[in-house]
Amino acid sequence: MNPQALMDGLITGSMIGLGAIGVTLTYSILRFANFAHGEFIAWGAYIALAVSSALGYLSGGLLAPIGPFSFGWSLPIAAVVAVALTGGLALLVDALLFGRLRAQRSTVIIMVMASFGAALTLRSLLEFIFTSKPAYYTKALQIALPLGGGLRATPDQMLSLGVAAVLVVAVHLLLTRTAIGRSMRAVSENQQLSGVVGIDVRKVVRIVWLLGAGLACMAGIMAGLLVQIRPHMGLDLLLPLFAAAILGGIGSVPGAMLAGLIVGLAEAFAVQIVGAEWRAAIAFVILVLVLLVRPQGLFGRPE
Amino acid sequence: MSVELIGYGCFFLTMALTYAIMCLGLNVQWGQTGLFNVGIAGFVAIGAYVSALLTTPDTANRFGGFDMPILVGWLGGAVAAALIAFLIGALTIRLRADYLAIATFGVAVAVQLSALNLERITGGPFGIGFIPRPFGGYAGDPLLFSLFNLGVLIVVVVLLYLALERLVRSPWGRVLRAIREDETAALALGKSAVKFRLQAFAIGGGIMGLAGAVQAHFIGFIAPENYLPMLTFQVWAMLIVGGSGNNRGAILGAVLVWGLWAASASVIASLFPPGQQARAAALQIVMIGVGLCAILLLRPRGILGEEKVVSRHLGKLPRALRPGTKPETPKQ
Amino acid sequence: MTAALSTRALVAGYERDLPIVRGVDLDVKQGELVVVLGPNGAGKSTFVKAIAGLVPIHSGATALGSLDITAVPAHQKIRHGLAFVPQTENIFGTMSINDNLLLAANILPREKRARRIAELYAMFPDLAARPSLRAGQLSGGQRQMLAVARALIVEPSVLILDEPSAGLSPKIVADVFARLKEINANGVTIVLVEQNVKAALAIADRAVILVEGRLRHEGPAATLADDPIVAELYLGARREPKTVTP
Repeated sequence: MNPQALMDGLITGSMIGLGAIGVTLTYSILRFANFAHGEFIAWGAYIALAVSSALGYLSGGLLAPIGPFSFGWSLPIAAVVAVALTGGLALLVDALLFGRLRAQRSTVIIMVMASFGAALTLRSLLEFIFTSKPAYYTKALQIALPLGGGLRATPDQMLSLGVAAVLVVAVHLLLTRTAIGRSMRAVSENQQLSGVVGIDVRKVVRIVWLLGAGLACMAGIMAGLLVQIRPHMGLDLLLPLFAAAILGGIGSVPGAMLAGLIVGLAEAFAVQIVGAEWRAAIAFVILVLVLLVRPQGLFGRPE
Repeated sequence: MSVELIGYGCFFLTMALTYAIMCLGLNVQWGQTGLFNVGIAGFVAIGAYVSALLTTPDTANRFGGFDMPILVGWLGGAVAAALIAFLIGALTIRLRADYLAIATFGVAVAVQLSALNLERITGGPFGIGFIPRPFGGYAGDPLLFSLFNLGVLIVVVVLLYLALERLVRSPWGRVLRAIREDETAALALGKSAVKFRLQAFAIGGGIMGLAGAVQAHFIGFIAPENYLPMLTFQVWAMLIVGGSGNNRGAILGAVLVWGLWAASASVIASLFPPGQQARAAALQIVMIGVGLCAILLLRPRGILGEEKVVSRHLGKLPRALRPGTKPETPKQ
Repeated sequence: MTAALSTRALVAGYERDLPIVRGVDLDVKQGELVVVLGPNGAGKSTFVKAIAGLVPIHSGATALGSLDITAVPAHQKIRHGLAFVPQTENIFGTMSINDNLLLAANILPREKRARRIAELYAMFPDLAARPSLRAGQLSGGQRQMLAVARALIVEPSVLILDEPSAGLSPKIVADVFARLKEINANGVTIVLVEQNVKAALAIADRAVILVEGRLRHEGPAATLADDPIVAELYLGARREPKTVTP
């Protein structure tokens, strides 16, 4: 068994986890499975690419790699901008589509169908603008450094894992210790009662979109940095995202991250056995197992 | 010239009708039972591949090739798809509606992946070719051939339509409708909602499998790239445009959306230089996506709208009992 | 003297073409404890939910003091001093007692929050005993107490409760009602929707009876208990609708 699979699994797992947190939050507060969430990942990656390239064009110095990493300052700056813009994109899609459907008191199924349509539109828009040719933040190659125990990781990979860990802790603290986090948990449990106790549900909805899309954007930048940027990168992650969100238990942020890691590790180890071409099916198998054995997931409440 | 036009028209209509079959299957699942299938492409693929494997002649490096008659293939495809639909339904039917959506999405991914990877069975990325065509003997005369194929499809669609209309009005169909409109009342009558929904889901899946099989035999070859999420999206667009809950709407929607798709494809393709055709295709999808979202916002009922079959067949109810009338209040 | 809470020709219902509340005028004086009675399906719950902003108002108006709150969104009403305790699902079961209270206290200015929560813990020692307990694990009576405590955090001028006795044993009902009487004695105007006529009339100043969405009778609580009209309205005997004299 190749120990490198452990590192691969952790990396993929943390990306899936970040995305799954967004899915689980929108699912628990907006009450529908958002098939367009993968596209926030892809758009996040592409927006960061566009901004980073623009910055690099304006000042070549911004492209010079920082320390041991493969990217220059253009990328972190672009990341901040991209998170904001991806959040804005999510708010826009909500204002144009989901919010209106909610106002019409549409059923869950209409919302999911709309998200499917929105996903296709967003994905194809990326393809239209950027074509399907894979893109990269940087051409600089990285050497994997030994970590001990047969594990090797590049500085970029270590940074990504670190950032993911920090983000998860931050989100968890947000939900458990802050007023807005309490409001989000309240809306997730009972929207009507939330209004009664004085919570502005619309404000909470906006914050959920921003948070979910922001996390997705970071996941996308990580994926773009460590692998590549393609218009279909969101779609490819969608099934693992859902599998992780359901495995973790809808509404649970630690659950989503933990489940994301499980899915990532399962994929990494399984492809050692059945071959890389079956990677996409692993999430499906996990999903079926969860639905069979424990549909509420690890930390979810039984319906 | 006109021969070519007729030929093209036949081809267009025949393809549209294969989609109509898929829509009819989706209508059973969604329109009648309210179940959300996001993996239509998977069930269509199952039907196509099973039928292909059953009816193609034996090939050296591939499993299958039982060289059976076409109708056996079609039946096999439908049954296989129905079976998988039943299994997936059984797994998720008691859970939230969108869990079924996610599970069916997963099925489509898994099926497409299997088709791609199990080269010994499915021919891998190259797919399966030489699938026997109905009236294959007439292949030499393109016009007659297209007409015969169109005829076959029309017969299949009409038969299916009649059978489904019968089904909707049958006791089974009425129970399904009752479950959809007022589950508590239906349960009070002792009807197991889960059982009926599962049956409906399986039947719908089987019809989708049939569509896949019919399509495979019409085109003559299949490959995994024919069964992408785009297909699922197309069928949904067709049903929503035509009017969900309505079998006539399903057929109308299929023809209409297929036409729009083809028309917009050629219009957009003509606007873009040859090197940018991939971009053109992407733009077309953007427009269709926006169109679908617009329909969901503005007229989710579609063109022909939801058919209230049960109410139509209860005849005229006394005024006070008809749904939608306000209870009479004493004049103050 | 402006009423603490009033409605004028209130018409409300979930569906536009099916009003459940069909024109109700109500004036609740400052400091009163009014109970809303009526047979099942009379629209009592819908009436108070409409006032709270949870059910769409088709026509008519509601006012809190001199402020017209008809169009004020539900989550703003509490900021004006109108607190509502729904019948079911009136606490956040997945959150701790403390979090439930913190949530409600959020609309208060920062300096007041901790003090107010402490005051409520003093008022409800049962809740103070285990503040980090998940609210879903509380007994029926304790949940009701938490719901009331939550509503009181903002020091409301008017407190509306929808069938607080539902599902509770007689002894617990007596406890809850005794509390409500206390709270009312401290100056909070209370409107109570109730099915438990006897217990409600015991603590109320005045009662109104809703039948089929209309206000059909009202009177002092003390005399209403023995009034045969109550039984008639509840049992739906056919009689001419009585005009209500103001």
